[in-house]
Amino acid sequence: MSKPRVRPRPRKEGGRLTALPSTLPGPSSERTVLNDASGEQLAPIQELIDLLKRNNLTELEVERGGFRVRLRHETGARPAVAASAADVIPAAPHTRVESATISLPAETAGKVTITSPIVGTFYRSPSPDADPYVEEGDPMKKGQVLCIVEAMKLMNEIESEVDGRVVKILAESTKPVEYGQPLFLVDPTPTS
Amino acid sequence: MFKKILVANRGEIALRVIRACQELGIKTVAIHSEADTHSWHVRAADEHVCVGPPEDALSYRNIPNVLSAAEITGAEAIHPGYGFLSENAHFAEVCESIGVKFIGPTSENIALMGDKAKAREVVARRGLPVLPGSPGELRNESDALEAARKVGFPVILKASAGGGGRGMRVVNKEDEVARAFQAAQAEAKSTFGHEGVYLERYFLEPRHIEVQVLADDRGRVVCLGERDCSIQRRYQKLVEETPSPAVNEALRREIGRVALDAIKAVHYRNAGTVEFLLDKDQNFYFMEVNARIQVEHPITEMVTGIDLIKEQIRIAAGLPLAFRQQDIRITGHSFECRINAECPEKFTPCPGLVTHYRPPGGFGVRVDSAMESHSQVVPHYDSLIAKLITHGQNREEAMARMRRALDEFVIEGIKTTLPLHRRIFSDAEFQKGRVSTSFLERLLTNQSN
Repeated sequence: MSKPRVRPRPRKEGGRLTALPSTLPGPSSERTVLNDASGEQLAPIQELIDLLKRNNLTELEVERGGFRVRLRHETGARPAVAASAADVIPAAPHTRVESATISLPAETAGKVTITSPIVGTFYRSPSPDADPYVEEGDPMKKGQVLCIVEAMKLMNEIESEVDGRVVKILAESTKPVEYGQPLFLVDPTPTS
Repeated sequence: MFKKILVANRGEIALRVIRACQELGIKTVAIHSEADTHSWHVRAADEHVCVGPPEDALSYRNIPNVLSAAEITGAEAIHPGYGFLSENAHFAEVCESIGVKFIGPTSENIALMGDKAKAREVVARRGLPVLPGSPGELRNESDALEAARKVGFPVILKASAGGGGRGMRVVNKEDEVARAFQAAQAEAKSTFGHEGVYLERYFLEPRHIEVQVLADDRGRVVCLGERDCSIQRRYQKLVEETPSPAVNEALRREIGRVALDAIKAVHYRNAGTVEFLLDKDQNFYFMEVNARIQVEHPITEMVTGIDLIKEQIRIAAGLPLAFRQQDIRITGHSFECRINAECPEKFTPCPGLVTHYRPPGGFGVRVDSAMESHSQVVPHYDSLIAKLITHGQNREEAMARMRRALDEFVIEGIKTTLPLHRRIFSDAEFQKGRVSTSFLERLLTNQSN
């Protein structure tokens, strides 16, 4: 069994930046900068925060002399998801999962990512010989089924929460997906 | 033997199970919430699956997601650790029904032990000493009053579905019974979803003694000695030791015999702990069976040389116990300190960024922890961040080693219970082994005076 895909959120090492902005305070001022709440002293840290945001990083660690600062940007906060796979009886072949989770990763401004609300196996079509629910470039409507995530013999149909267009399919059919894993990149701007 | 095990937990116990698997040549799958993406247990495992948002009800206790994680990774067995799904009979049952081995007791074992009033009844029927109390759950206030009169005051009201010290009320006189009964019932209902309460004699200054047992599929049972967990704060254990300084050889044999008898009475499987109260006159009474691996299991490992997690895995795989009662040798003495991310005086949780973490080391020192420098203590879960365990040839050496190790331990950035542990280990009464469950409260009261 291959290693399940991990969400492409950068891990500790991946998000680290070694470049030192010239505005970084030297060791002598470290306490002042970290503890003093006056806007003037905190300016360099504010710049680091801007740097973090500008480069779409989740984590930034900078070290200079004895001074080290570590910033983290949580993109977490997702809406609660109603996974209807709560029961384990492998009876109903298809269950609708009310909402696919939507988050806004920074690298795709204006677009939304539809992530998996449950752990399971991703399928692009209702059966092996059927056509996929959607292809890249297809228009899509709110409430439309985009894929299936099979969990414990239960086929959970994942519906879109927005109108728009499928920009990219991010998961591979028949492969396992974890909670929060991006499945589709969607352009929510209404297309004519 | 299993080829791949999913560890349905986080923190030190997840890492503990992963390490045992690594030594047994078993592949591991870690699960984690979005709050634990960077945690050590996730990196230590061969595979990892995110099972939900930070709230444990939606991630670590999310049965469909945890089982799906086992399914997509092809794990054959699940180790639940302690807490979360470890004593969830429904979860164990679902595992059994879909062919994933639950590493722990049977779902029937968990269901029976989870109903404390019933478990007590079963053990009493076997003729074993239980705390004097109501025969089963109390139906109403007059039931409670009658039972309390028969047992004699003070009494303690406990939730049948309770545990971890929650849902308990001490009643000193008759006119307090009605109100305490209502409050205990309401608390039991809101905390555990079941309003059943029962009543037991309340002992002042007892010791909490528990016995570690193992039982294989063939019904062979082995007792691995006792642990003294009398250092508690509001029923939360803080320091444990084995052997107990209050238990002599004759008493040890007797408690061990009763523990094994209780385990056989309920057809128990895998690792479990039988809890007793020991009064000042060396009388002991059965309280309950903990149907899981316990936080304080390492001290038993230190004095017996038996890896309890590996034994759990072997038993779950259907292997017979490789040793008999006469093979068990208790060697030396062991202590455990539970280091919590808490304010040491008020015990309020203290999550945050650990700026510097340097565990102690050296001969006879063991640290079970998933903590690292620059790691976050997240506010969503248990505040236990490290278990410091020492082993020595005797109690004095294990104690001196603990004092030394506590001084070496550096955790910066958050408040921990380390200073309190240093205080406990330098207390004269504690050093003499003269403690009861009210020791800590007294120590803290003296401090504020």
